Amino acid sequence: MASAPTSLWYKEAVIYQVHVRAMYDSNGDGIGDFRGLAQKLDYLRDLGITAIWLMPFFPSPLRDDGYDISDYTSVHPNYGSLDDFKVFLDAARSRSIRVIIELVLNHTSDQHPWFQESRSSVDSPRRDWYVWSDTDTRYRGVRIIFLDTEMSNWAWDPISKAYYWHRFFSHQPDLNYDNPAVREEMWNVMKFWLQLGVDGFRLDAVPYLVEREGTSCENLPETHVVIKELRQRLDENFPGRMLLAEANQWPADLRAYFGNGDEFHMAFHFPLMPRMFMALKLEDRKPITEILQQTPAIPDPCQWCLFLRNHDELTLEMVTDMERDYMYDEYAHDKGMRLNLGIRRRLAPLLDNDRRRIELMNGMLFSLPGTPVIYYGDEIGMGDNIFLGDRNGVRTPMQWDGGWNAGFSAADPESLYAALILNPVYGYQAVNVASQKRLQHTLLSWMRRLLQVRKSSPIFSRGSIESLYPANHRVLAYVRKLGSETVLIVNNLSASAQAVELDLSEFKGNILVEMFGRNIFPRIGELPYLLTLGPYQFYWFRLRRI
Amino acid sequence: MADEDILSDDLLRQLMSVGEADILVGIHTHNNAKTIGQLVQIVREGLLKYFPRERVAILNVDGGSQDGTTDLVRAAAISDVRDATPFYALRTLHCISTKYNDVPSAGRAMHIVVAAADLLRAKACAIVAPESSEIQPDWMNRLLRPIYREHFDFVAPVYGRQRFDGMLVTNLMYPMIRAVYGKPIREPRPGEFGFSDRLVSELIGHELWTQDAGRIGPEVCFTVSALADDARIFQTFLGPKGHVDHQPADLVAALRQTVAPLFWSMDSTYASWNAINVVQTLPSDGPEYEVGMDPVHVDLTRLHQMFASGVVDLQDVLKSILSTSTLAQLQSVAALDETNFQYSDELWVKVVYEFAASYHRSVINRDHIVQALAPLYRGRAYAFLTENLNASKDDLAEHIEALCRTFERLKPYLLECWTAQEGGS
Repeated sequence: MASAPTSLWYKEAVIYQVHVRAMYDSNGDGIGDFRGLAQKLDYLRDLGITAIWLMPFFPSPLRDDGYDISDYTSVHPNYGSLDDFKVFLDAARSRSIRVIIELVLNHTSDQHPWFQESRSSVDSPRRDWYVWSDTDTRYRGVRIIFLDTEMSNWAWDPISKAYYWHRFFSHQPDLNYDNPAVREEMWNVMKFWLQLGVDGFRLDAVPYLVEREGTSCENLPETHVVIKELRQRLDENFPGRMLLAEANQWPADLRAYFGNGDEFHMAFHFPLMPRMFMALKLEDRKPITEILQQTPAIPDPCQWCLFLRNHDELTLEMVTDMERDYMYDEYAHDKGMRLNLGIRRRLAPLLDNDRRRIELMNGMLFSLPGTPVIYYGDEIGMGDNIFLGDRNGVRTPMQWDGGWNAGFSAADPESLYAALILNPVYGYQAVNVASQKRLQHTLLSWMRRLLQVRKSSPIFSRGSIESLYPANHRVLAYVRKLGSETVLIVNNLSASAQAVELDLSEFKGNILVEMFGRNIFPRIGELPYLLTLGPYQFYWFRLRRI
Repeated sequence: MADEDILSDDLLRQLMSVGEADILVGIHTHNNAKTIGQLVQIVREGLLKYFPRERVAILNVDGGSQDGTTDLVRAAAISDVRDATPFYALRTLHCISTKYNDVPSAGRAMHIVVAAADLLRAKACAIVAPESSEIQPDWMNRLLRPIYREHFDFVAPVYGRQRFDGMLVTNLMYPMIRAVYGKPIREPRPGEFGFSDRLVSELIGHELWTQDAGRIGPEVCFTVSALADDARIFQTFLGPKGHVDHQPADLVAALRQTVAPLFWSMDSTYASWNAINVVQTLPSDGPEYEVGMDPVHVDLTRLHQMFASGVVDLQDVLKSILSTSTLAQLQSVAALDETNFQYSDELWVKVVYEFAASYHRSVINRDHIVQALAPLYRGRAYAFLTENLNASKDDLAEHIEALCRTFERLKPYLLECWTAQEGGS
């Protein structure tokens, strides 16, 4: 099967999400930087990832971990300089690793010169770059996202004596996308980075760009107009570059962000992720198959982006109240693990550090339709620290080895940007890259193998999916097809061994070739195909007619 | 261990798909298409409401329905294939159905439910009668919660009944079980009840399934087994129950389903009850007893005649069952006309106890013993009806309580009869 055209590289990508600050500190100041990240590219190449998604690295007061940007066209001095970024970019290119950067379109920091100018006077030329109001009653009823910290979407500005609109923290005023000058300036920002050579943008918080009275101020048609305009300019000027949407919405609402293939290339499938965790705990495929049934078809060049964990809390916005309660009880019994409407934990602790469950979840992540994202450190089973505030507990330094500062930095431990994980289970002496590289059966080695198998066939990135519904509901089975190629995936969501009978009559006469060991399984005959699976076991079978 | 013969291959395949269950609800049907759809909907609603996170299965055991009963049960399943609107469930809710080849038998059906519960390792089970038109979603909570969450082993129902409904229960089963086993089980032959995995383990290999008593009256055997096992028992008030819907109009058939299993169970559990001489209270929710005051429509004269002629016609049979003294008293009562009729509690209790002892000793064919009780019960029913025709609810309750105390006071007499070397004295 031929690879996708180069312009569709994102469909076959395996993305690694990292904050530059967390990867490697090259200058001993306790904070990771671009020169350090560049030094770790060989590790990422060997892991098998094909793209890096960098979280915000721009100048910022860092009151929201860089999502409060005060300068869009520079690099925060903590992480190096623009030249350092260019060095990193070249190093990534030389290893055929694409680079996706983050762009926070919706809002800036209140320290951004644009906002400072805007608030300085109602007559300021940039006054209309933000959403101002004399009252805090406009857009009444619009939901508050950061429930734990914000009381309103309006904040009073004592300098200009008016309210400004903010969907996130009050120190992050929303830009006014009804103003053409704002749209033009944000395109200039994108152009700046595209000209340097970045391959795409993950656009943060896109549903909230435009506000209208009497609406939820989310997913408005006017927002889609803004996105279409950006996409058109991107295609005209930088073909082959990619836009990835962060829109934490239901699948039906998410669908609109693909437009007719003229908005985003990719969008995160937010509702799927919590349901994977739910299905695992329930030992029942229902949450997954239901959300797959509700997932609409998307234009051919588009792709879902799938993830198990990321830098934010495991968001439970896109679940029902009953499901949310269940998830809290099962995955966040300690209230300290909860934040906003979510659970601030890493993959391994969520799964009780159970290697079988970690493998199964990754197996599903890499075999369901979409481009998978690995959150840094999850490939070795890093832990978290719920005693760090906000979402910082899942943003601790990468654990490279069992030595000084986990091999992350030569600085004094006290000066690290965040404390290392030290406990006996997840501490850096127990969980680190160096030790896992030494053995063949570590999680890291297994992840490498998983990526190899995933990349052995484009069927995983571009194939269709068809769910099977065996009577045994603890087994999630689906068929992926691309051209003449077919792959059968069977997952046991249960902690106990299972037998399952699959209706494979459509494929009668084919033999099954298990893709990890390449062993042959019996030919499909007249009867339902009987498989037995150990606890949390999964199979990927290539179907072959021989 | 489950009896492999009792489960068909098809059912085993379905159970394999269910896997392990937290809760299993068994429904025995035979041509119940008129009511089963609505009943299963309510059961499902109750399970989703009160046990939304648990692994739940509804097992319909059907005695060969020809009216589509089993299809209606299966249609209530909630899976990832079928749209479950308006219900929402976190996980799959299995509704499975199986048919057995024998003639319809409550015992056979219940044995299958118990075997399935054993295989599924269900922590709490409930049996629901298919014709329970009064069932409410909260019955699931009342029957299952005490077992699943509070570690009881057996949940017996209390129904609100009309004052003369279930007289066999109020005049024999309830007071006798209370006296013999020391626990006041209001409904010894329940249409609905709950039981634990521990009770399943006790019952799965029990001989009751191979006996007529167990085949015909498994509910009574089940109840008595729980009593004899010293299981933790809870009584729950379910609300009104229709007119003896599970009790056939044929009195002999009713006796075979109630008294025979009781006598049989007493026979096999003697060691557990012979020393009991106090009555414990049982933990419960809701009222212990509730009666309605609907008017009664019974042909009292015919009831009296059937009693009088029965005593005469069965004189030879009764001689081998009853003591000379008791028979003589009975014959005196039978000779009384309706105006002067008196059938004391004490005489009735002695009759019942002597029947139980004779059943134990198998003085004649056991089924003949059970049949012979029919006319004597009619006499008791006649007396009860005439004495309580104008009684208030409180008076009625007091009369039943007095009868219970008579059963308890005369328990030594039961033991005396039970241990006597030969029948008659």
